[in-house]
Amino acid sequence: MQDVVLAMLAKEPSHGYELRSRLRDALGPVGEAMNAGQIYVTLGRLEKSGMVISERDPGLPDRPDRKVYLLTPAGQQRVTSWLAEVTWPGPAPAEFHLKLVAAALGGLADPLTIVDAQRRELLRLLRDAQRAAMAEPDGSAAGLLLEGVVLRLQADLRWLEACERHWLDRSDGA
Amino acid sequence: MGRVLLVARVALRDLRRRPTEAVLLLLVITATTTTLTLGLALSRVTNDPWDRTRAATAGPDVVAAMFAPGPTAPGELVALRRAPGVRAATGPYPVVFADLRVRDIDVSASAEARDTAPAAIDQPAVTDGRWIFPGGAVVERGFADALGVRVGDPITVAGRALRVAGIAVTTAQPAYPLNTPGQVWLARVDAQWLSTRPVAWVLPLRLADPSAAPVFAGAHSTPAIRLRPWQDIRDRSVALVAIEQTALLVGSWLLGLLAVASMAVLVGGRMAEQIRRVGLLKAVGATPRWIAVILLAEHVLLALAATVVGLAIGWWAAPLLTNLGSGLLGTPGTPALTGLTVVEVAGTAVLVAGAATLVPALRGAGTSTLRALTDPAHPPRRWAWLIAVSAHLPVPLLLGLRLAIRRPRRTILSLASLVITIAVIVAALAMEHYAAVLSARPAESGHLPGLGNPLVDRVDQVVLVLTVVLSILAAINAIFITWTTALDAQRACALARALGATPRQVSAGLSAAQLIPTLVAALLGIPAGLGLYRLAAGGDAGLTPPLWTLLAVVPAALIGMAVLTAIPARLGARRPIGDILRSE
Amino acid sequence: MEQAVGRAVLRTRALCKRFGRGDALVRAVDDVDLHVAPTETVAITGPSGCGKSTLLHLLGGLDRPTSGEVLLAGSRVDQMGERALARLRRSMVGFVFQAFHLIEELTVVENVELPALLAGRSPRAARRRAAELLDQVGVADRAAFVPAALSGGQRQRVAIARALSNDPLVVLADEPTGNLDSAATLEVLRLFDTLRRAGQTLVIVTHDARIAATADRLISMRDGAFVDDTRLTGATTSALSVLAGLEG
Repeated sequence: MQDVVLAMLAKEPSHGYELRSRLRDALGPVGEAMNAGQIYVTLGRLEKSGMVISERDPGLPDRPDRKVYLLTPAGQQRVTSWLAEVTWPGPAPAEFHLKLVAAALGGLADPLTIVDAQRRELLRLLRDAQRAAMAEPDGSAAGLLLEGVVLRLQADLRWLEACERHWLDRSDGA
Repeated sequence: MGRVLLVARVALRDLRRRPTEAVLLLLVITATTTTLTLGLALSRVTNDPWDRTRAATAGPDVVAAMFAPGPTAPGELVALRRAPGVRAATGPYPVVFADLRVRDIDVSASAEARDTAPAAIDQPAVTDGRWIFPGGAVVERGFADALGVRVGDPITVAGRALRVAGIAVTTAQPAYPLNTPGQVWLARVDAQWLSTRPVAWVLPLRLADPSAAPVFAGAHSTPAIRLRPWQDIRDRSVALVAIEQTALLVGSWLLGLLAVASMAVLVGGRMAEQIRRVGLLKAVGATPRWIAVILLAEHVLLALAATVVGLAIGWWAAPLLTNLGSGLLGTPGTPALTGLTVVEVAGTAVLVAGAATLVPALRGAGTSTLRALTDPAHPPRRWAWLIAVSAHLPVPLLLGLRLAIRRPRRTILSLASLVITIAVIVAALAMEHYAAVLSARPAESGHLPGLGNPLVDRVDQVVLVLTVVLSILAAINAIFITWTTALDAQRACALARALGATPRQVSAGLSAAQLIPTLVAALLGIPAGLGLYRLAAGGDAGLTPPLWTLLAVVPAALIGMAVLTAIPARLGARRPIGDILRSE
Repeated sequence: MEQAVGRAVLRTRALCKRFGRGDALVRAVDDVDLHVAPTETVAITGPSGCGKSTLLHLLGGLDRPTSGEVLLAGSRVDQMGERALARLRRSMVGFVFQAFHLIEELTVVENVELPALLAGRSPRAARRRAAELLDQVGVADRAAFVPAALSGGQRQRVAIARALSNDPLVVLADEPTGNLDSAATLEVLRLFDTLRRAGQTLVIVTHDARIAATADRLISMRDGAFVDDTRLTGATTSALSVLAGLEG
């Protein structure tokens, strides 16, 4: 989140509420759950680490949402290097995989039941994400984000199918 | 050389893999080669029978004829006996039209009074019985055959009761029915009418130079005296064969055209399929050009095989058609098979095969391998206004019209072959009609009612055989095209059924796709057939058949086509939809 | 459309389809009992080769079952002759195929009006209905083009318009997004959603989870038999933002 805020300040200094509204536009329904004060917490952290400085808007009382924030040179550099970064927040199947193994080994539960339940949940998530995606107008930025969510869920569901096949074979063989 | 052998081997293997198709193609080309061989054989027929008859009868070089009243020969005619160039002469003999009665047949005949002693020139050769005697008449053989008389039968000529003394052949005029009225010879004693009727006097002449007969005839013809050189008489006598030959040659061209159309459909379908396989064959080094060459080679091989079969059948069957009828002695021998004939027939066969294969082969050769892989079959054509028109038609016609215009080339080929077939059938009908009218003519013209005309009969036979062969080929064509259309449109038909068309509607549509060209072909073929008949019959083309007969060809053709296409159309609409539309 | 509540639009009893015999016997559809209520959207999922497409073909009368019953609006489909089946397909069933199966030499509007023409409607009425439908599915501007000039998503939308041509009781879709990319899938999804909200009964065979997630009922199939028949009710435990990678 910190890097995102820095990047949003890169073009020109902005007020806190301006940043918030821009984020909300970009995230759409995904950002709805976001705390209103979240952004000021982030800005505070950035100030502390010296990437951002704030100025009081003259003529207005000294409140956080009336401050104007700008990037420091250190912040600028951070933005440049962040934009050039290519590390990807990859999927994290290890935990679920180990859950199934543990359940099978310890006789705690039938892995197939776990897979089934997880599948149902993922489908519910997919349903919500899809509904949100369809409510978005064509070409909206938020729609693009939602498509990303949907496709990831699809991929995860495909893996779950593979898990089901694997554990089905194991139980048949056993 | 090695490459040629390789191509030949691959071509042969390809043919063996598809025996039915190879046989069909072979049949189609063989029909052409056989007919052509027969036509060529007839053109080489020797004039043996004519020569033999002329020698046996001491045939005249020129026959002079003149009308004169009274019992004595006209002076001008007698004077001809001493004209320059004349070596010998007999007669003149009196000839008159007399009523002839045999059993219940009443007909006009030409009665010639002769001496009982043999003449030096133009002495008819008796093949049955004996020469004339008082009370005994001799009948010309062609005439005798048509009348059905035999030696000893009673016969009445100009009211005088006689018996048939014998049957003979002559070369003074063509035999019946090439020359009408029929000829009989009588003893002078039996020719009572000499003083009472106008008489034609006939003078056979022998010239010093027989080959100069036409010149002599031209020089001495006057309005009163008519001279006929022997070359004219011979030509007319062998006219039967000449007409047959024309019919056969024309027939072979038509069969050739039909063969090209049939083959083009067969080959066109295979070409598209072959190009689709190009991707696989590419690994072996084959390119679309190779495919085209191999396809061409296959058909040339078939053409050569058809040549051999056609030559064999044609040469064996030729004697059946070269019989000059009973008017002359003997039959012509079968002419030797010349190299020229073989080359002509082989050339025609290869031309037919090449013409049919050329367009698809060229198209295939021009296709780059990449295009062949990515765009295997050329898509169906779209005709916007015809599609719009079809929307207003009932469902079977809607489907039929749309199916027909998907592959315009195939539809046009089908149309062409149907036009040819219907034209020949109409021409044959016209000929039948003419023959029927002729045989119903009153007896004064010399034609025997109800007994027909052997000349017309024989040509009739040839035309009938041609019509039958053409019709069989056209039928095979129709069945094949319907089958190919059904396969080609399999997906579209299955889709139509999935969208709510009943199988019967789809079958009817597949039939309609052929019936629509049939209707157009019938409308085009009727005038074409009449034109063909006029062309073939030349000056003799008299009457055309009545309009209703011609118009009846249209529904007959439609019914025939509907029957032919019924089974392949049904088969094309029966496969389970799920199989065809199964998603991968 | 059937408004009789409680009466199934589509119903099967002990439906079986077998291919081959002996060792090579394949039970494509094995003793399937299905009921689809009016306005329901049912998704049938399963791995490839599990018999989903065969089942759909049986439901629409494109294939005959080996045994069992198929009832469409109360009439026995499995006992009908080909002619009656054709009439049935005309008025009660609309098909959508994975490969679109549009006729390549006809324009889009000519493709869509075809079922109406086959049903005997006048050309004018058929054309009007086709234009209406193309408008509904959002491809009206491509009406005069041939299918080859359209994208995959547009072609499938045309196919759906065609399926709706005769106002069918149920639309049967066989892997409708199988040949489509992600963006085109979204187009088709939107369309199915619109249809669902308009009250059209849909039976969709798919192995795409996105489609399955939008259905009212989700049926899982394996080896020719139904192994699960559930509704996706209830809220989710994770928020979308967590899924998206935003920290709380």
